[in-house]
Amino acid sequence: MSISDATVAVSEELAARDDMIVCRGVDKWFGDFQALSGITATIKEQEIVVVLGPSGSGKSTWIRCINRLEAHQSGQIIVDGIELSNDLRNIEKIRSEVGMVFQQFNLFPHLTVIDNITLAPIWVRRKSRPEAEEQALSLLERVGIPEQAEKFPGQLSGGQQQRVAIARALAMEPRVMLFDEPTSALDPEMIKEVLDVMEELARSGMTMMVVTHEMGFAREVADRIIFMEEGEIVEVGTPHHFFTEPAEERTKMFLSQVL
Amino acid sequence: MSNEGAAGDIASLSTLGTRPPFYRDATVVKWLSQVVGLILVLLGLFFLASQAQNNLEARDIATGYDFLGTALGSDLGSGIDTDPDTSGRALWVGMVNTIRLAIAGIALATILGVLVGVGRLSRNWIVSRTSSVFVETLRNIPLLVQIILIFVVIASLPRVETDQGPIHGWLHISNTGVSIPRVTIGDGFYQWIIFVIVGAALGWQVMRRQERRHDLTGQQTYPWLGFTGVVAVFAAVGWFAHPALGWGGAIFDAIADGIDALTPGIVQLVISLLAIAAAVQWIRRFLASHRTPAGLTKLIDDDYFRIIFAAASAVLVILFVTLGWPGLSSWIINSGRDLFEVIADKFGDGRTGVPITAYRPDIEQLGNFPNYGPAGLNLIQALAAVYFGVVLYTAAFIAEVVRGGILAVPKGQSEAAQALGLRRTTMLRRVILPQAFRVILPPLGNQYLNLTKNTSLAIAIGYSDVVQVGQTVYNQTGKTLEVVSIWMLFYLACSLTISVVVNFFNVRMRIVER
Amino acid sequence: MADGGDVPVIGDKPVIERVAARPAEETYRSPGEWVRKNLFPTPFNSFLTVAVGLFVLFSARGLLNFVFSEERGWDAVRTNLRLIFTHAYPEEQYVRVWVCVGVVAVLAGLSLGLFASRGDGLRLRKIANGLNAAAVAIAGGIVLREPSVLVGADGETVRDGDGVVRQSFAEAMTDRWGWWLVAAILAVIALALRRVPERSDGSHPAVRALDFAVGALAVPVISAWVYPWGHYAFADGEFIAEPGRTVAMSTKLPWTVMWVLAVASLIAGRWVRSRVDERALARLRVVVSCTWLLVPFVLYWVVLRDPDLDWDRILTVDMPLALAFGIGGGIVLRWLTKDGIGEFGRISAVALLGLAAFHWVAAFMGWYPMLQKVRISFLLLAVMALLAHNFSGEAAKRRRLVLAWFVITTVFHYFATVMNTPSTVETPTEALIGGFAVTLVVAVFTLMLSFPLGVVLALARTSRLPIFRVMSTAYIEVVRGVPLITILIFFVVILPLFLPANMEISLFASATLGYTLFSAAYLAENVRGGLQSIRRGQYEASDAVGLSTVQRTVFIVLPQSLRASIPPLVGQVIATFKETSLLAIIGVFDILRMANSVIPAQTQFLGIKREGLLFVSLVYWVFSYMLSKQSQRLERRLGVGER
Repeated sequence: MSISDATVAVSEELAARDDMIVCRGVDKWFGDFQALSGITATIKEQEIVVVLGPSGSGKSTWIRCINRLEAHQSGQIIVDGIELSNDLRNIEKIRSEVGMVFQQFNLFPHLTVIDNITLAPIWVRRKSRPEAEEQALSLLERVGIPEQAEKFPGQLSGGQQQRVAIARALAMEPRVMLFDEPTSALDPEMIKEVLDVMEELARSGMTMMVVTHEMGFAREVADRIIFMEEGEIVEVGTPHHFFTEPAEERTKMFLSQVL
Repeated sequence: MSNEGAAGDIASLSTLGTRPPFYRDATVVKWLSQVVGLILVLLGLFFLASQAQNNLEARDIATGYDFLGTALGSDLGSGIDTDPDTSGRALWVGMVNTIRLAIAGIALATILGVLVGVGRLSRNWIVSRTSSVFVETLRNIPLLVQIILIFVVIASLPRVETDQGPIHGWLHISNTGVSIPRVTIGDGFYQWIIFVIVGAALGWQVMRRQERRHDLTGQQTYPWLGFTGVVAVFAAVGWFAHPALGWGGAIFDAIADGIDALTPGIVQLVISLLAIAAAVQWIRRFLASHRTPAGLTKLIDDDYFRIIFAAASAVLVILFVTLGWPGLSSWIINSGRDLFEVIADKFGDGRTGVPITAYRPDIEQLGNFPNYGPAGLNLIQALAAVYFGVVLYTAAFIAEVVRGGILAVPKGQSEAAQALGLRRTTMLRRVILPQAFRVILPPLGNQYLNLTKNTSLAIAIGYSDVVQVGQTVYNQTGKTLEVVSIWMLFYLACSLTISVVVNFFNVRMRIVER
Repeated sequence: MADGGDVPVIGDKPVIERVAARPAEETYRSPGEWVRKNLFPTPFNSFLTVAVGLFVLFSARGLLNFVFSEERGWDAVRTNLRLIFTHAYPEEQYVRVWVCVGVVAVLAGLSLGLFASRGDGLRLRKIANGLNAAAVAIAGGIVLREPSVLVGADGETVRDGDGVVRQSFAEAMTDRWGWWLVAAILAVIALALRRVPERSDGSHPAVRALDFAVGALAVPVISAWVYPWGHYAFADGEFIAEPGRTVAMSTKLPWTVMWVLAVASLIAGRWVRSRVDERALARLRVVVSCTWLLVPFVLYWVVLRDPDLDWDRILTVDMPLALAFGIGGGIVLRWLTKDGIGEFGRISAVALLGLAAFHWVAAFMGWYPMLQKVRISFLLLAVMALLAHNFSGEAAKRRRLVLAWFVITTVFHYFATVMNTPSTVETPTEALIGGFAVTLVVAVFTLMLSFPLGVVLALARTSRLPIFRVMSTAYIEVVRGVPLITILIFFVVILPLFLPANMEISLFASATLGYTLFSAAYLAENVRGGLQSIRRGQYEASDAVGLSTVQRTVFIVLPQSLRASIPPLVGQVIATFKETSLLAIIGVFDILRMANSVIPAQTQFLGIKREGLLFVSLVYWVFSYMLSKQSQRLERRLGVGER
């Protein structure tokens, strides 16, 4: 099977769905270092995309551009039909449509778990406090730590913190979730609890874009895998295609190093 | 949230590629808010200035710095010239007093502070306790209270007596203050100091060479001894040979004449060219940082705003120099010329005397009571009060800085040094102190700044520092604004000097680190 | 914490000094061993011990001789205590001063009772050690001080040819039996405390530090009733000295009441705390904090100053104005928080700001007259309007914004009216109060005003907006580069030049303004330190959940950075407190000026300066030392990082 075949296979399955994230020719420089060059990709609704690649390949930069934590310099990024541009209204909208989970959790250390989760719903989604707290508790239930609501992040283990971070992102009721190496800062025994939550989320029909080094997760959960190197997309395909018969030499090199 | 644009056909999106209205454009809003803020601040300043202008006109007070050349009707308590001809000269005397006070204060406060700071960490109980009490007492009482207290205590000391005083008459303490030996700069000092500087530069080289030899061969080479020796030789030779440098004056005279020959127009042109060059340089570097191997990156709006601002500031500088304050350029010319004339004078032909002389303080009886004569360096009551007040207060803070710095060196460092078998002194000199010094230096510089600024409290007890002299000047002339502006410029210059010096050492320390 | 994951901590730099380097608590050794180890370990150290010891002994002896000398004019201080603390606040109105002290005592007691952390146990053994040291120090002092001067029956010192005649050493030692007694009592108490048995769980017996402090304060209060401290005062210009009796009723009664009030409110606070849950306690904390913020204004402008309110004007001008702003502003804010008003709301807010700015321009140009407070009200409304979009949507939040506006309008208009009303209290100088009170008032107002300004400057200096950054940096560096006194002189002498002709500004106000602008620059640097310790991830996370810049700053950035910069901020508080002594130079009758010029000018105490200045030093020292000790405790507690 060639690349085009793989793409076709995916396309057939997903063709009927709407586009959620569209990137066209996205470029990004840091000074004179080009972090992204000509990224073009489309992610469909309810699709799970895993982005793989060696470190420094631009995966994180790309995912951060989609949330406008970094501004891209040319090309287009369209999320849920809204183009990311200098328009303040669009930036505002996209931020509340796109949830993000960071490698370092980035919980707010001075707020309790429940306050971490309810802060944005109350002040950005403009919910009332009881409503937001009710939602937060059910989210904590969903990620499996309802009993930690009144604790501070510093009192939780890394895995628990990352699950709180996922709950915090979900509280904004996003249409897309971005995961930036969510398990890289965790001790091995805690990785699974986070991956379980992510799998559950995937089953529930969330559109997800995941940067990770967890090959197992990629193989089991992903609809598609995008392999990047040096700021470019090298290869796109289903997990089956990707892990069994990659087309590109660079992909094979990478796989031989990590597997 | 509405989701109107989620249709599959992206091409149908109407917002695509178009600019949002300006009030929603992130870049425009960002810069617009800044410009509005800037305009508001400038507007406020402008209104205040015009109000001041009106009020001054209503009170019939003219502005300007002409008063610096007019006579001052009163004497100064102390300084290089106690009966200055003009207000400008008086302010200069005040500045010299402040600078002398600051330098002498920094020297003594550093010594005392280091001693107390190390003492606080001493394992000797009584030493550490005494140091603690010293620090905790002095830094919790306002400096002004301490200065006035010292002033009052000095006033209650016994009168000056004609007998010899302690240490064979080299020191006198009485209710008029303290008199210590005076070391004065003689005629040939500036020529001589050039010898010393050359000696120091050579000595430095010698020291480095000896250090390198020590590193290579392991021989004991005594680098510091080499340095001191070279400097001593040069100082000794220069002591007799310095008249040979008398021709230096002519060179500085020539420079002064050269500056004097400039016209204001040329200076304005030079400043304008410098401003333009700076702006061009900035823009070029900015663009260079955005250049990629693939060609120039697409500049975003933000970048254009930055470039426009760089250019606009250059234009503003030019307008200010040519139209806003045309007098500035002639002022630059005059002060540049004066500076070099003064230097030329110091190197003049007739300057062949002994570079440095020391005198024993004397006591003379002119009227009913004996008093200190001119031979000694007399710290009169007010000077002694402000000097010791500032020194003790700052020493307490320096002690804390030193203590913090030494404590900041991880314990493992001294353990490692001991494990290597280094002697205690070697360990302190080579391991602990270099590391502590890096922590100590920035806050130490801050304390030096504070000390310099704190000398201004001399105004409370009437010592003629720049603030007290300034007060006398504006009381007589009514030129408050001008005097305050001179104060501010003077202190800013002092602060800048100290931070530059501290930064220089700071950078050096960081190089050592690598 | 089981995992090695990245636990968010506040700041990269440790907030605390390196405690680890301090010597560990020493185990018990015999006194001889202790002396050998700590005083004479090496020859050089022995030399140091002797030299420093002699120096200390001579200094202590000099100080004791000075303080307890029969020739000292301590009467000048004890007679003028009122002058030193409040200057010439009128005698018949003095109850107002006591009301102020009482309010502060009650609030302090309540706050400590409600919120002081428990755990801070003071071991009895430690107290005993302190008492022992005090007893030894007193005994040493008795021996060290030179024998007293003999005083004849006529009250004059006895002199012979060479000078004053002194007691013999033995006479002096027996003459000072009172001090021996004090030392003995302290030693006995210490012994008794040491004997208190350990608790059943093996821990050392301890009391709360707070309880100990309150109890210790009872000692001077009770002694005022029983010990003949003497009564010294000026009554109608006459100097009264009655050494044999207790202090005046007008002193001991109020202080006793103050102590009782403080203790009662402390107990009340603790009682309330034991009754309510965490949520209510948090709410109480907000209420008490707000009260603390309002109290200085109320005490100074209302209680001490007692405005002579002109009800005609209030009913016809002030009240309608306040009502109009309250209601009109409320309607505007409610409209601005309507659902879906979007950018239009923000543009309207900016337009309001423009209108407010225009009123100021018009004022300077003299286009139309307008009350100053109306201009300020417009400005306040514009600021609220700019913040309004954060409160839009849900009904409860909109109500809260409008409510906040009502409160702000009420408070502002109330104080604007009160401040512009002449006072009923008449004092000989322009200022209402002087002495230590003015020191405190200026320090408190300066800190309250400069704190927000400092935070804004720090935010501007660290912001991504280059023009704001440059302006803020320039301001901070210029102010930090020049001495305070030049700034004070600038504000006192030159500020009137910059004001419109019809506007006057009191010395007190211009001095406070100068202090505020000065201190703000330093505070800004301290806050900046805290801001820089916040990790980038915090900003990214708040952006990712969609918080606006203002929300991010208020909810995420400031809480963390202020917490990290508490120790330097307390340092700045101490510095400001000490700097208030410069008030004396610019002509305010503050505590230093009392000691340095006012008291030495009284005919009874002509030229007596040293005693007053020493007393002033002591007052300043006690306050700043307590503050710095508290800040060190705070630093330790923050360093431990309970969260």
